[in-house]
Amino acid sequence: MFKVSFHLISKVLLIGALGLVVFGSVFAQMDHSSHMMGAGSTKPAACIGPGLDCANAATPFLTSDSKLLLAWTSGGKVSVAQSADMGKTFSPPVVVAEHGKSLDTGGDARAQIVSDSKGNVFLTYAFFKDKNWNAQINKVLSGDGGKTFTTPESLVANGSSERFPSMLIHPDNSIFIAWIDKRLIAAAKQGGAPKLGGSIAYSFSNDGGKAFQVERIANEDSCECCRIGASLNPKGQPVIVYRAIFSGGIRDHATQVISSKGSEQIRRISKDEWKTDACPHHGPSIAVSATGAIHTAWFTQGKARSGVFYANSHDQGKTYSTPIRVGKEGANISRPYLLAMGKSVWLVWKEFDGESTLVLMKKSSDDGKTWSPAKLLAQTSEYSDHPLLISRGDEAYLSWLTRADGYQLIKIGQVE
Amino acid sequence: MKKILITFVVSLVIAAFTNAQEMTIKPYQKGDWASILKLADGKPMAIHFWGVTCPPCVKEMPQWGKLISSDKAAKVVFIQVDDVPPEMMRKMLEQAKLGNANNYYIASPFDERLRYEIDPKWRGETPITILIDKAGKKEMMIGSVNFQTVKAWFKKNS
Repeated sequence: MFKVSFHLISKVLLIGALGLVVFGSVFAQMDHSSHMMGAGSTKPAACIGPGLDCANAATPFLTSDSKLLLAWTSGGKVSVAQSADMGKTFSPPVVVAEHGKSLDTGGDARAQIVSDSKGNVFLTYAFFKDKNWNAQINKVLSGDGGKTFTTPESLVANGSSERFPSMLIHPDNSIFIAWIDKRLIAAAKQGGAPKLGGSIAYSFSNDGGKAFQVERIANEDSCECCRIGASLNPKGQPVIVYRAIFSGGIRDHATQVISSKGSEQIRRISKDEWKTDACPHHGPSIAVSATGAIHTAWFTQGKARSGVFYANSHDQGKTYSTPIRVGKEGANISRPYLLAMGKSVWLVWKEFDGESTLVLMKKSSDDGKTWSPAKLLAQTSEYSDHPLLISRGDEAYLSWLTRADGYQLIKIGQVE
Repeated sequence: MKKILITFVVSLVIAAFTNAQEMTIKPYQKGDWASILKLADGKPMAIHFWGVTCPPCVKEMPQWGKLISSDKAAKVVFIQVDDVPPEMMRKMLEQAKLGNANNYYIASPFDERLRYEIDPKWRGETPITILIDKAGKKEMMIGSVNFQTVKAWFKKNS
């Protein structure tokens, strides 16, 4: 009798429990489908694989023998592939790191890659290392031209939080790296005077990235969520541009030359007067021409001006020209990027017209004094990365990753 | 046998409730803005976009929790924009006492295509708050908000 009752009760419990599970799933599906119905659209399948086709950001580097190295982040992995035909075909990708959803794939995050004249490849990226979203920059090296890589390891010893690496390689094979560092923010919090923002940190390596000099701080107060722009001047010194925090919480842009003695004076590009504590996720761009002229472009929502702007300096950043608006006023303009060779300067940016994302370009042949009309370079109808510019000899190329039209490396001109 | 069966049943029940609970953060993607606006149902509404990895957002969320608990009539929709595991969103929302709020997460790329229908001038800054009055008039606030201003706005427009 007891046995029969137990079995009966068990069955009722089991059916009830299974019913709850089914109800839970149905409830979940109903919620999902009703949402879809409300939206009047069909959800496309999420692109989650580790391939270039699902990447959110791809960073190119052209070696001196015209081999294209491409590093990208997708599916929680950092991958590298090579192309011997300027991006038409790629070697099978090598996965160099895997962090799942902890990989930093924010709007301004991207893996960085450089290669020296001996074929050594050096790559960095950031990931979130703890539950408080503190980040760490990892470095990965290859001594065989990118076929195999070392196990990722931290760039900085005992760091608090580092994000947004930005790298340059000097003709003498030394590597410069700058990043957003939060050690001073963490110290301020511990000291009972918490503040927002980050700092601009930098370091050099003279052995292909195996070891770096002790990091230094160029500016203690910067935006914590915008990548840094960097370019070498004719003296071989890195010149950086970033969204600084000026007195009163104004997040306007600044440049700094990094000389052998350290970081030089902070030079404000313009008084846009963007007082905000928001994360713009929209870092600036910089290119230094053969004459040493500094060309910069940036995004702001300041009280004095709002949109994307360009300015240049012919005195190492002491003074900057009056900012010029990039793109049409009122248009959805974003992600400016610059390249300079000789006195030629190329400026590209994104414009979204409500249907398609366009990449447009202007060129100056006289070091930024006069500019060509805007020219359409490419467009796409789905997700796309920021447009980037690289050079081969005296030729300029647009590097653009798109979800619908793949990765593109397009020749856009040459030095005149 | 009895113990095993009871354990199995209990775990199924827990699984059922956990499954249902997970759906309190709903997916949002390009094309969904019109359906979000319909949630206003003739009342003033605030839509707050925030990100788990955005320090000023995280700092501000507990204050949104206080606003919701002190003003039950205030209609606020929260949309999380970072590509992070759902459990991390839930953890942060629970810490801010916003576990039962009207929560969404971006389930497609957080790009210009998604943002354009919300506001063509929005380039992806977070946090942002969009106040929409009964007539559908929008006001966008970039960065942390002044909660006295938000409370006063709800009072004035209700």
